[in-house]
Amino acid sequence: MSPVFLPKPGRVLGEGAASLASGQLLIDIWMSTQRVLLGFMLAGAVAIPLGIVMAVWAPAKAAVDPFVSLLRPLPSITWIPLTMLWLGIGEAQKIAIVFMGSWIYILLYTIESTKRVDPLLIRAARNLGARDLHVMLHVILPGALPGIIAGLKVTLAISWSCVLTAEMIAAQNGLGAVIWQGKDWGNLALVLVGMLCISIVVLLADKAAGVLERLMLPWERHTRN
Amino acid sequence: MSPVLAARNVTKVFTTGKDQSLLAVDNLSFEIGDGEFLCLLGASGCGKSTILNMFAGFIQPTSGEVLLRDKPIVDIEPRCGMIFQSYALFPWKTVRGNVEFGLLMKGLSRAERRERAAAFIEMVNLRGFEEHYPAELSGGMQQRVTIARLLAADPEVLLMDEPFAALDAMTRQVMQEELLRIQERSGKTVVFITHSIDEALILSSRILVMSARPGRIKAVITNDLSTPRHIAVQVSPEYGKLKSTVWDLIESEVRRHSMEPAPN
Repeated sequence: MSPVFLPKPGRVLGEGAASLASGQLLIDIWMSTQRVLLGFMLAGAVAIPLGIVMAVWAPAKAAVDPFVSLLRPLPSITWIPLTMLWLGIGEAQKIAIVFMGSWIYILLYTIESTKRVDPLLIRAARNLGARDLHVMLHVILPGALPGIIAGLKVTLAISWSCVLTAEMIAAQNGLGAVIWQGKDWGNLALVLVGMLCISIVVLLADKAAGVLERLMLPWERHTRN
Repeated sequence: MSPVLAARNVTKVFTTGKDQSLLAVDNLSFEIGDGEFLCLLGASGCGKSTILNMFAGFIQPTSGEVLLRDKPIVDIEPRCGMIFQSYALFPWKTVRGNVEFGLLMKGLSRAERRERAAAFIEMVNLRGFEEHYPAELSGGMQQRVTIARLLAADPEVLLMDEPFAALDAMTRQVMQEELLRIQERSGKTVVFITHSIDEALILSSRILVMSARPGRIKAVITNDLSTPRHIAVQVSPEYGKLKSTVWDLIESEVRRHSMEPAPN
């Protein structure tokens, strides 16, 4: 195949080594990671408590559901014009795109896992003298946690695709910007370096999430096998 | 002396569909005395669990009332502790965490919780398993944890809903003996549901034989077989005689019930 359509592996490695040596690639990786983490954590901080409240208190669910139904079909990319208008093209706008693309998934996973907590366990806790707050702390939260974490893992990959979209459209740095610059300059090797970095970083993030998951859910090791 | 638990003209109707309802328990009255080991014996679907759930306060009677020491039970009642057939252990808590739960709810300090939990874990022969999660234990061990968890919470009455039904026959035998030993030591009042005549004969001081749906009391049998009811008692003529008496009472109910379509 002609190197115009697909550069040789040696070219890609050379391009990667050069970007690494200049330090620019690490900055790009770090910038994307930072945007993902901030937007993702913000989404979790809003959606997890909201989801739990919606799952246990019907009026909250009734109030928020219409907004969820309206916002859910919108891919995060559709928020780019508005967020640029409101927030410019700086960090806040990237974070907002990650947030908009992530929070609803976290919310839906949280509601679903909270509702699935075995009612028999709630009954047992009350029978042992637990009041509402204790039922929440000792039964509903730990019972919903595995489902919430599973949802966070799925959403983390979605958050990454959000940040890349945002960076391709308007950004000075980040892995999405690397790919777009490679395209603009006709440097296909750089495009492939960017793609490879995304694969590796998302893979590592997933591994790290897996380790965290095992630490947070020590009892799941036994129930899963 | 006034009874610990009492059911007075209790009727429970479940709504099963738009215009359908199911009479689960029909005008039931009985009393349970202090320290008694009462078995509710009946075919499945005779309303045994419904009665137990009313004593625990999980559900309310449609009419009549259930009383704990002469006071109506109107909400979930921690003084009537329940042992569930499916254990209902908290999977995210260790054996120790599960056993300590009731003590934590009472606001005991960490040191006190540890100490008391250790005693009950010892009582059900689970020493060495404190840090294990329920999923690591066999069914029999899990049911022991639920018993320790409930005893630690110190309810007045133990309500047991076919607690050993999911266990294999040999484990069940061992668990029955342990339960008797624990009950003797703690002096707790026990209401125990079973559909096994042998289990009722081995455990109870009194047996309420229930009719098939709707639940009514068909007979009350005082079980004065000598204790402990080891295998020697279980093959004695007295045991056989009592067993056939009970079976005669139950047989027609089982046959009647098995001819009816299931309610759901």
